[in-house]
Amino acid sequence: MTLSPLILLIEDDLQTRRFLKSSLHHRGWRTVGADCGKTGLALLHSENPDLVILDLGLPDMDGITVTRRLRQLSDLPILILSARNQEQNKIMALDAGADDYLTKPFGSGELHARLQALLRRVSRSIHSLEVFETGELKVDLARRKVFLSNHEVHITPIEYRLLSILIRHAGVVVTHRQLLQEVWGAEHIGDQHYLRIYMGHLRHKLETNPARPRYLLTEVGVGYRLALDDQFMSQDGPI
Amino acid sequence: MTYLLGVFLVASRYGRGASIVASLLSAPPFAFYFARPIFSVAIQDLENIIGLAVMIVVANVTGSLLEKFKLQTELARQRENHANALYRLSSDLSAAADHDAVARIAVEHIHAEFGAASVLLSVGADERLHPPAALASPVSLKIIDFTEAQRIFTTRKISQENHIGYYPLKSSRAWQGMLIIEASQTRSWQASERAAFLDTFCHLLAQTLERLQLAAQAREATLQAETEALRNALLTSISHDLRTPLTRIIGAANALIENDAEFSIAERQECNQLVLDEAQRMSELTGKLLDMARLSSGEIALHRDWNAIEEIVGSALNRLDKHLKDRPVRTLLPDSLPLLWIDAVLIEQVLVNLIENAVKYTPSGSPIDICGQAQDGFCRLTVADYGDGVAKGQESKIFDKFYRGVAESDQSGVGLGLALCKAIIEAHGGLIQASNRAGKGAEFVMTLPLREPPRVADPEVGGSL
Repeated sequence: MTLSPLILLIEDDLQTRRFLKSSLHHRGWRTVGADCGKTGLALLHSENPDLVILDLGLPDMDGITVTRRLRQLSDLPILILSARNQEQNKIMALDAGADDYLTKPFGSGELHARLQALLRRVSRSIHSLEVFETGELKVDLARRKVFLSNHEVHITPIEYRLLSILIRHAGVVVTHRQLLQEVWGAEHIGDQHYLRIYMGHLRHKLETNPARPRYLLTEVGVGYRLALDDQFMSQDGPI
Repeated sequence: MTYLLGVFLVASRYGRGASIVASLLSAPPFAFYFARPIFSVAIQDLENIIGLAVMIVVANVTGSLLEKFKLQTELARQRENHANALYRLSSDLSAAADHDAVARIAVEHIHAEFGAASVLLSVGADERLHPPAALASPVSLKIIDFTEAQRIFTTRKISQENHIGYYPLKSSRAWQGMLIIEASQTRSWQASERAAFLDTFCHLLAQTLERLQLAAQAREATLQAETEALRNALLTSISHDLRTPLTRIIGAANALIENDAEFSIAERQECNQLVLDEAQRMSELTGKLLDMARLSSGEIALHRDWNAIEEIVGSALNRLDKHLKDRPVRTLLPDSLPLLWIDAVLIEQVLVNLIENAVKYTPSGSPIDICGQAQDGFCRLTVADYGDGVAKGQESKIFDKFYRGVAESDQSGVGLGLALCKAIIEAHGGLIQASNRAGKGAEFVMTLPLREPPRVADPEVGGSL
């Protein structure tokens, strides 16, 4: 039997670390804790975790630096915990390579949904998918075709590229910067209006009510997230 | 008689000097052509001699009368001009909102009326003149000797030095500043008129400066009173809204510790749930307090970018999903709505607060409508509900900090939600208003200015859409 995933918790507040540990153990995950950036980076070497939960307000190093170091050493998923007034730091950390975020205070339900989506991505269950499905939305990744309730929806090449990036990160936030860079190139990183317009087109094609989307969720100020169906989550189960 | 008419005309046209010359010059031709013996300068008839003398006298008197009359007319015109100038000055000054505006108006009017460059120095709380921050107007006096000005100001006397006039300005209560004018050439007979005119000018300026000072003092006093009232409201509010959940949390946690053995699983679960709910409520409240503090301290800078309102509405509804379970939410956001140049995070907060309010203050199950509309360079966003509406006369009060419809009501919230909305919308140069709809329920309308969004140069535009 394979071991359950090991999660490295880099968080300076003892009580928060405790609560995270107990909540993760409850779901059958293993944890190892660090109370500062340096210890965290050291544990990355010695423990070889599957995922990092990183608090942005550490006493010794700022979260963005830790994220960069972690990214230099490995490409394991990083989930950031940020306080309300760290909006800009959060986005910088995401652009520096962190995979997703949670704003404090958060519930354990949100935490588990995020972790599952992140671990799924690593397990390559999505990379190797030929058909991606969530709710009524079905995307045939081999034939580059999109279906809604089994009816084919015609989308343009740019729309398809946006959608396929979101599918690659299904359940995980993708920042504006990442999308702009991948679809339009580095010279268009400042052109957020491109994204607004094409994501708008996609929403109008794929959502019943584009003002209350079910699949293409907006993370205001950060990016977009392709919602994973609950059913889809439970079918796969925890990894 | 022709002789008289000629002199009269000369007098009216060229003044007294010319008329005397004319009357004297015309005497010999009169004697030569008209008085007997004709064609001789000699005059034989006593009657004609007297006649000529009378005519010279009459011509002179008429001339001098005419000149006096002209002078009076000139003066009257001058006075009328001055009165008009003062009227223009006072109406311009009455609109002036600060010292800079007064300085600019003074300089421009003095240039227009006296053709002289000038500068207005205001006096600070330290009784010293303040050098102008920048040239108030292109016609400002460019170089001034500031030490000299300060010295003259302390003497409180009008003074003329090196072709520069210094006029300390005194209002009814205090010395308000000093006007410095470059001397200009004036005719001597105008000097006293000019001095009187300038005096009134200075008086008007002093009064305006005093008015500004009093207005600033009044503002400060009101602000202080408001701050005081706000502090009291905050204390009352915090003690109620933060202590209520705290009391419940402490109670529940105590019960869990003390009655651990006796509690059934259901009871324990209930206590835990209570702790969680109340803690979440506190988290929400402290978040709002924090946002308000940051907004009012000016710490929050707007991170504006091009945003689609549809996305922001979608995200707000997604965040409130739990609260909206039994609520039909109807959205009407036309595809034609342009992108808005806004801080999406803050505008989302506004929508969240408004929708939360609608949920809080209307019967469960009643719908909530969200509409967007672009018109005349503005985007109108409306959140409407089907509750009892806003109490009459309270439509603008509800946006005040710490306002609550019913004091000490069991509704949670520190009365900051709408105040936050107002601060955010106003930071965007927009407006937010509450009203009651003809049918039923309240309506919150935000108006945000539109900007021309950048073009998208893309091969796909007009593609398969």
